[in-house]
Amino acid sequence: MRIAKKFVAFTAFALVLAACANQKEPAEKAVAQVESSLAEFRADAEKYAAEELKSVDESVTRLKNNLAKKDYSAVVTGAPSVQSAVTSLKDTVAKAKIDAEAVMAAAQAEWTDLSTSVPQLVETIQSRVDTLAKSRKLPKNVDKATFETIKTDFETVKADWSAAASDFAAGAAADAVRKARAARAKAEEIHAKLGMNS
Amino acid sequence: MSTENPYAQYHVVKKGDTLSKIAEEYYGDKMLYPKIFEANKDVLQDPNKIKPGQKLRIP
Repeated sequence: MRIAKKFVAFTAFALVLAACANQKEPAEKAVAQVESSLAEFRADAEKYAAEELKSVDESVTRLKNNLAKKDYSAVVTGAPSVQSAVTSLKDTVAKAKIDAEAVMAAAQAEWTDLSTSVPQLVETIQSRVDTLAKSRKLPKNVDKATFETIKTDFETVKADWSAAASDFAAGAAADAVRKARAARAKAEEIHAKLGMNS
Repeated sequence: MSTENPYAQYHVVKKGDTLSKIAEEYYGDKMLYPKIFEANKDVLQDPNKIKPGQKLRIP
């Protein structure tokens, strides 16, 4: 009887060991698969879905910790939901990338227009400001105080345009467009104050 | 290829206009008429000879 009990206990222990050994390989494969899937788009994920990536990374870390603790069963059980989260993140990143590229394309198209119109405005206003600065008397539609304000505002326009051009050269098209729009609006205001719209 | 500046200002010459009068109207100073003459040398040969209907750029 005692021998029979020992035999049963030994058999049970052997079965547990065998079961563990059976799950080791699937567990390692599952973790490798998850990591490989995530590595494919990690760079884009960092750029377009950093918060979601952080959450998925935490799940992957838990999976790897279980693997390190040789809790293969937990790894095999938990891996499908982590893989599913990775797949979902991949879709999110793909959509975010398409949206960002559309925004960038629109900004670049607008920049093409702004990079023509703002320099034309600046050149036109500069010429008139230089001429009026030499005039012994200002035209009827521009008094001295207005002309002083125009000169100050025009310096701001030139600085804003310069900053916009630097942003665009550095690849920050959206910031460049925002600054260039502001520069053009201010320049058009000056153009009107100088009576040049007629 | 140069594109026309849409923000440039133009003046269509009327009967009785002179470059000096136009300079006074736009700059407040008739002595600045050479600015207008220089900017319109493609259509003007003599600052004293402008014709009604001519379209002059006011720089």
